[in-house]
Amino acid sequence: MTTETHVKDIKPGLKNLNVIFIVLETGEGRVTKTKDGHEVRTCKVADKTGSISISVWDEVGGLIQTGDIIRLTKGYASVFKGCLTLYTGRGGELLKIGEFCMVYSEVPNFSEPNPEYSNMDQMKNKTVLSDQGNILNNNSAGNDTTNGNGVNSQGSGSSTTPLQGGRAGSGVGSRANNPGGTTVNGKETRRSTKR
Amino acid sequence: MSIQCVGIVTSLTNGLSEREANDAITANVCKGPQQHEEVCLGLFALLLTEPPQAQRCYRDLTLVNRDGMNVILIKINQILMEKFLKLQDVCRTQLVWLVRELVKSGVIGADGVLMTLMKQIAGGDITSKNLWLAENVLDILLDQREWVLKSGMLIAMSVYTYLRLIVDHGTPALLVLRQKEVDLCIGLLREKFMECFIIGRDLVRLLQIVARIPEMELLWKDLLHNPQALSPQFTGLLQLLTARTSRKFLACRLTPDMETKLLFMTSRVRFGQQKRYQDWFQRQYLSTAESQSLRCDLIRYICGVVHPSNEVLSSDILPRWAIIGWLLTTCTSNVAASNAKLALFYDWLFFSPEKDSIMNIEPAILVMHHSMKPHPAITATLLDFMCRIIPHFFPPLEGQVRQGVFNSLTFIMEKRVLAHLAPLFDNPKLDRELRSMLRERFAEFCSSPSPPTEGRDEGESVSLEMDNHVLLDKEDGCYDNTEAAFSDDEEEVNNKGNKKREFRFHPIKEAVIEEPADITPYVDQLDDTMKEKVLQLQKGSDTEAHCEVMQEIVDLVLEEDFDSEQMSTLASCLAELFKGHFRGDVLPDDITEESLEESVCKPVCLVFRNLCQMQEDNSGFSVLLEMLAELYQKQPKIGYHLLYYLRASKAAMGKMSLYESFAQATALGDLHTCLMMDMKACQEDDIRLLCYLTPSIYTEFPDETLRSGELLNMIVAVIDSTQLQELMCHVMIGNLVMFRKDSVLNILIQSLEWETFEQYSAWQLFLAHSIPLETIIPILQHLKYKEHPEALSCLLLQLRREKPSGEMVKMVLSRPCHPEDQFTTSILRHWAAKHDDVLGEHIKALLIKNNNMPRKRQSLRSSSSKLAQLTLEQILEHMDNLRLNLSNTKNSFFTQTPILQALQHVQASCDEAHKMSYYDCEYEEPSSKPPKSRRKAPASSPRSRKGAVTPVSNEEESASSSASEEEDSKPKAPKRKRKGSSAVASDSD
Repeated sequence: MTTETHVKDIKPGLKNLNVIFIVLETGEGRVTKTKDGHEVRTCKVADKTGSISISVWDEVGGLIQTGDIIRLTKGYASVFKGCLTLYTGRGGELLKIGEFCMVYSEVPNFSEPNPEYSNMDQMKNKTVLSDQGNILNNNSAGNDTTNGNGVNSQGSGSSTTPLQGGRAGSGVGSRANNPGGTTVNGKETRRSTKR
Repeated sequence: MSIQCVGIVTSLTNGLSEREANDAITANVCKGPQQHEEVCLGLFALLLTEPPQAQRCYRDLTLVNRDGMNVILIKINQILMEKFLKLQDVCRTQLVWLVRELVKSGVIGADGVLMTLMKQIAGGDITSKNLWLAENVLDILLDQREWVLKSGMLIAMSVYTYLRLIVDHGTPALLVLRQKEVDLCIGLLREKFMECFIIGRDLVRLLQIVARIPEMELLWKDLLHNPQALSPQFTGLLQLLTARTSRKFLACRLTPDMETKLLFMTSRVRFGQQKRYQDWFQRQYLSTAESQSLRCDLIRYICGVVHPSNEVLSSDILPRWAIIGWLLTTCTSNVAASNAKLALFYDWLFFSPEKDSIMNIEPAILVMHHSMKPHPAITATLLDFMCRIIPHFFPPLEGQVRQGVFNSLTFIMEKRVLAHLAPLFDNPKLDRELRSMLRERFAEFCSSPSPPTEGRDEGESVSLEMDNHVLLDKEDGCYDNTEAAFSDDEEEVNNKGNKKREFRFHPIKEAVIEEPADITPYVDQLDDTMKEKVLQLQKGSDTEAHCEVMQEIVDLVLEEDFDSEQMSTLASCLAELFKGHFRGDVLPDDITEESLEESVCKPVCLVFRNLCQMQEDNSGFSVLLEMLAELYQKQPKIGYHLLYYLRASKAAMGKMSLYESFAQATALGDLHTCLMMDMKACQEDDIRLLCYLTPSIYTEFPDETLRSGELLNMIVAVIDSTQLQELMCHVMIGNLVMFRKDSVLNILIQSLEWETFEQYSAWQLFLAHSIPLETIIPILQHLKYKEHPEALSCLLLQLRREKPSGEMVKMVLSRPCHPEDQFTTSILRHWAAKHDDVLGEHIKALLIKNNNMPRKRQSLRSSSSKLAQLTLEQILEHMDNLRLNLSNTKNSFFTQTPILQALQHVQASCDEAHKMSYYDCEYEEPSSKPPKSRRKAPASSPRSRKGAVTPVSNEEESASSSASEEEDSKPKAPKRKRKGSSAVASDSD
């Protein structure tokens, strides 16, 4: 596996990010709906180097609880409304790998509004990000096929994202149909996306 | 790993008959240890996941394994400790089934696995999964009783576990289960008592909690009166209580997950960063009513098991006492709270420095010590508990418990956990009764010699014959009340409640017959001349004569050859002899010049008078100060008596500053501390005197008083409305200044924590001053809806009298929008009616300023913890609320030019994204303007609520609008505009 990026090293425009963080605030109560019906939550997450906001799409967002330790794979960072924000990229995923036992630092919050980003934001709205189709207010039809979790939106109802299919998602719940042998061998967290 | 093993097993056996399969597996196992392990784990995994094959797999396992199932036992333990919570139901069922089979087969080591399984049963959890596990393990224990009886540790662990679980299973639905649990425990306790004995003192703790159950009651009878019936080696309860509980047992009632999390908190989380971890732990384990019983387990675990290394202890890692403090303060039931306190002190009761560890008793003393400042009520309730547990824990063993607690305290001082206990036991933050109880019980640990009679204790309340009018507070009545409320650990009872009882109502007073003071231990140490004078003081009964003698004593002290080593002894004598002076009220009922002068003619006052008459550079001056300082040690009330003297006596006119010299001469050594202690003492003894002293204290010592929220709280906590009104008059007349611009805000913010009446009083006093409201406006950031109604209502009434300033408007708009919080709307509405032009300009300025700022609402919204920071949304949301509120009136606030301009500015500049996401806010405003402009909005809102609301003040605007955006944005005279828009509006409709 590739190495993990620390929150402090996340910069706008970086792609293919692997980050391990603990969830401090879930977007509960602040669920936004996009035009085409996706739920978007903004969670505050942190590692020992600082905190950042991550934008989580659809059901997965409802499964995340504060205190969850999550590994993000293939994430990317961009600026949304002047704030550095983390997203799940195409083919990426959010995987709960533990809970509670992680030291974090809430400051600095790298998603504090940063005037420097404002210009970039506007620029990106038009160009860079639209090809990833993950900006909230993007309403061009061509992008409907992907959402911020990097999963095909058509399939998102039935396809499995790791956190789907049962709270706690420490892997096992979501694998109700898997051959149960996996539950005991200590490698559960690696295998959940693929069936 | 297991998957591979399953693969190996299935490939070995695929398509074969049972016999052939068996042979194939056996053959494979023989190839070597790796193959052996693979086959075992493969069968194990199959057994867990495929119930239909389980029987066969288990049989194969027993046939082929060559290590007494060791590989399997290790694997089971590993799963139990690391992943039990994640197991699916099927696997859980199978795992429990397997453990039962292992027990049935009498596999060596099965007892260990069973104990690990028992550990998975969570305390304080009556969800069906947990009950299922408790019941299944219980069934194994009951069914395999003969086997159980062979393992001493298993017996003890089962008893400890189920005695504890019984507590959770008290609801009617669970009584059948509970009965089975009781049967198991009673059976094991009666048959194998000495095996259970190894648990140690916590066995008694658990038995006490379930003592009401009939079978347990019978057991208790034997424990107390017939210990031999349980075991010939058992000599009685004391034997058990003096045995330290092994950590194994304290740890066994926490699931591995709880243990991991607690250990993480005490080893990795930094002090100050614990809030979220506590919340998460609370959410998972302590949020239900039945989970309250878990607190005891956690506290016992922290005291007895979590013993951090010195390295951790000296670091900034979250200390144990802080976790205990959290567990105590978040306790929601009284029963759980008193059990939790007992759990905290349990190792104190029979503490022996040889057998017990300082680490077990340290959390209790530290949580009391550290809570004194932030949560005095916690310290008070714990100290109170510590006092009361001595006689109440078990009356026949009172002596031993006292010794245990004393041993603990001594050991704590020896080990320098705390160097002195006096600051803890004799702290002005504790109420009077508690302090006197502490003095009574722990005289040895209150370093200063037992100070003044607080009246309660007959032994102490001796006085002089001469003073027949000594009044003694009859407090015992009040005291009983406190006692009744003891088990409540709520602050109200211990702090506020008590305060009220104590001070709001003057206790009934009643004359008592006093016995002569006993100064024999001291008087012989004085030299002859002095001794003679002191004895004269003791004999006489005439105040004037006393004063004369006192003057002679002062003169003796001032003589050059006075041996200053006698000072302390002399002070002890005087303090004892003048006890009577310090009881009862100082201030005369009718305050006249004469009565005041008379009240300062007591013998003690002679020392004060001499001090006043002396020049500060005189050598006698410092001698007198020294004398007073010594007296102060023995009799702290002398401090406020001096203040009174300096205020009331004509002789002391203008000499208030002498008090500062006095304060510096005392052991306290500084004016602020001394003044606060004395005012506190005064507050406790005599509220009228407190009010009488207040003006001069504030005038004379502004630096100490004006910044002290503590002092103000002392005053407002005890005054009644008459006294409040008097103080307000003092303020208005100019006799008293209680607030200053630079510190008033701070004090008012502190006051938010106070009781309602205290807060109102503080505000009244503040309002009596003429400090501009601007000074305290920033307090608005601290005022939370529903939490601070007192301050909000006071502030609201004040704001309405003001003409809005830019800062005020900004602060008001900075309040978070809450659907029920009408504060902002109320004041805006008022201003919109009275000062529409000013308000309009301010809002315009704010809107434009915020609109020009980078858009940052996304993150601001997410960090709700931050103090109010004004965002555009907020302004707009508040404006919308105002608009809705004004919609039925004829108010034309929203048609003013500045407002329209500002809204246009906002609308024009907000980008697409902004419009999308914050639709509601953005377009609410323009909606109060002509509907047409709404229709022109680039994208129409999915919600059409605004459409419905739009007919704002119809008469004027119903009417709309060629007033398109372009037009609107051009400045126009308001009047003209209004007309214009209404005209066109009717067209368009």
